[in-house]
Amino acid sequence: MTFDLSILAQYWPLFVKGTWLTIRICLAATIIGYVIGIVLALLSQIPSRAIKAAIEIYLLTLRAIPFIILLFVVYYGLPFSGIRIPAVITGTIALSLYASAYYAEIVRAAIEALPRGQYESARVIGMSALQAMRHVIFPQIVPTLVPPSTNITLTMIKESAVLSSITVAELTYQSLVVQGNTFAPFEAFAAVTLIYWAITAIVAHAASLLERRFGRARSEHLVGSALAASFLSLEAMPKRSRR
Amino acid sequence: MSATALSVSGLTKRFKGSAVLDDVYLDVARGEVVAMIGPSGCGKSTFLRCITLIEQPEAGFISVAGKPFGREVVGGTVHRQPRRAVDAMRPKIGMVFQALNLWPHMTALENVVRPQVVVLKRSRDEATARAQKLLADLDLADRGDRLPHALSGGQKQRVAIARALAMDPEIMLFDEPTSALDPELIGGVLALLKDLAAGGMTMIVVTHEIGFAANVADRVVFMHGGRIAEEGPPGRVLKQPGDPRLQAFLSLIRPAAAEAV
Amino acid sequence: MGFQFGYLVSILPSLGEAALINARLAAIIAVLAILGGTLLTILRAMKIAALNAVVAVVISFIRGTPLLIQIFIAFYVLPIFGLDLGPESAGVAAISLNSTIFITEMMRGGLTGIDPGQIEAATSLALPRWLIWRKVVLPQLFRIILPMLVNEVTVIVKGTALLSVITVVEVLRTSQQIAGSSFRPFETLVGAALCFLVLNLPVIAAGKVIERRTAGARR
Repeated sequence: MTFDLSILAQYWPLFVKGTWLTIRICLAATIIGYVIGIVLALLSQIPSRAIKAAIEIYLLTLRAIPFIILLFVVYYGLPFSGIRIPAVITGTIALSLYASAYYAEIVRAAIEALPRGQYESARVIGMSALQAMRHVIFPQIVPTLVPPSTNITLTMIKESAVLSSITVAELTYQSLVVQGNTFAPFEAFAAVTLIYWAITAIVAHAASLLERRFGRARSEHLVGSALAASFLSLEAMPKRSRR
Repeated sequence: MSATALSVSGLTKRFKGSAVLDDVYLDVARGEVVAMIGPSGCGKSTFLRCITLIEQPEAGFISVAGKPFGREVVGGTVHRQPRRAVDAMRPKIGMVFQALNLWPHMTALENVVRPQVVVLKRSRDEATARAQKLLADLDLADRGDRLPHALSGGQKQRVAIARALAMDPEIMLFDEPTSALDPELIGGVLALLKDLAAGGMTMIVVTHEIGFAANVADRVVFMHGGRIAEEGPPGRVLKQPGDPRLQAFLSLIRPAAAEAV
Repeated sequence: MGFQFGYLVSILPSLGEAALINARLAAIIAVLAILGGTLLTILRAMKIAALNAVVAVVISFIRGTPLLIQIFIAFYVLPIFGLDLGPESAGVAAISLNSTIFITEMMRGGLTGIDPGQIEAATSLALPRWLIWRKVVLPQLFRIILPMLVNEVTVIVKGTALLSVITVVEVLRTSQQIAGSSFRPFETLVGAALCFLVLNLPVIAAGKVIERRTAGARR
């Protein structure tokens, strides 16, 4: 078995196209999903049982159903109600809905953990609501929002591969095209693997930069002796031996 | 210049129909120290939250140094002030919360500097100089670069006081300043409040420390059921209480003293 | 046209039968992944440099690429290297490896919540290494990661739907077959979605109960 580079030399434009579409879909779904998530989180603060129950059902359903099934339900359901739109849009809508359930949970947890007393002390000293948000609230909740939001965004990028099954010509779809044309699954999937790997690595790195910008000190865990570390730490070296 | 630092009239606040504050009137003269006492739930804390407009009172007028705060009468009708006008007045009332509510992501110094810069539009240099002077006065000169969680309870409280003082308030409000402290720190805080009073600062102190009320306050206000039940100089209010509810309250809070009598 | 509720009800029995396949596969995968994740965690704690370097690359690969691609690789690429597992086993292998990695990473986080003093105490009692794992570390570790582990089970259940793309006849593929002959894909897919609700809601509910209980115990 050899790795045939000529396949990649011939088909690289398809991979570029697919990558570009995957990026655009994920970007759109992140933004739409986050907006829906914020709206849901805010709605769930309204003291109404009916609203709370409706949101809970929405969140539970989206968490219980595989994304591929949600995608097909939307894909077959939209034309059913007389709406005909391209598969790319259908896929982006489904991905946004799926992500919204997870973002909603994160935002809701952040809202519930808001430091209300600190907000009050900012307002009482004369800051406007906006200034209090900017100087007191955001610097504290953004670092807590970034890591879980990043996780969900990464999950979404990976779930977007499923859009290939409704013929959206994104990255995974293109790798299947290449695989079908060349009967060289190894080359096709190796290439697509590396591209997804690169995308997720870049997003994760960007998130860690964002997190560091807000200067949250990570609490370093001390594992005590090397002996304890030989059970409780999976790092190559016990942390305390580091600088 | 008005001789009255704070004037409250007809202040009423209801929660779910029942009045927590019921038509409260209080004038505090410039330089006066008012100690507010009363059983828990009597409305003391709500009073402070209403005159700072954290809670919106249903009725009543507040003015600070002669200027209306929250509601004003224009052309014979009562108007709610616009938010900007309210925010502009707020620095004049310095509030030290029971929970202090320091901002944990800022150093002690930054806690004192930032509101001056954001609200009063002072330059960063001017604000820093002011903050450093205040922290030094409060024995915190070497603590400015610490985050709140690295400070002791007493130090945190002094940072909260410095933060409020930096805004050059007309009046300072303290919500039970000693209740969250270890017993050995209480004396220090009371001494600090005494110094502030000696420096001419107008203050309302909600407290359980009858000793403080007796020694430092110019006037003691006893609240009960959302009303001011009795008020007057500490010598009279604490030693010869007229209201039977105040007598009961004082005997509860000083059981040892009561037994000794 | 219009949503035919009667039709949806009529196909539920065949979908339900297919859902049992998802349940069976998910159960197998969950057992393999929990065992695999635990063993891998113990191996990683031994800090064999070469092994941990390899594991680090595998973790990064599994976490950085879609499960769908991993399933494709198990199904299309492994046979090239002489490992032809067939669709069902290839799918089980792919999802199991995926979950193994997520579980060992959960465990890495969970281990930091265990008091190092206990290890030192256990060692001073001359407990052998494997006993320390079994009696001291693992019981606490599982308690710590239980809520996350329950969530991972729902992920596994959902993952089994992806096996339809490599021709495993589970709920999704069954519903596609039914829709292919009845031309009523929407009702059929809603039926498939209902199957997953029935499979996953009890797991999610159990997770919530556990979370509440552990949160209560910590207070």
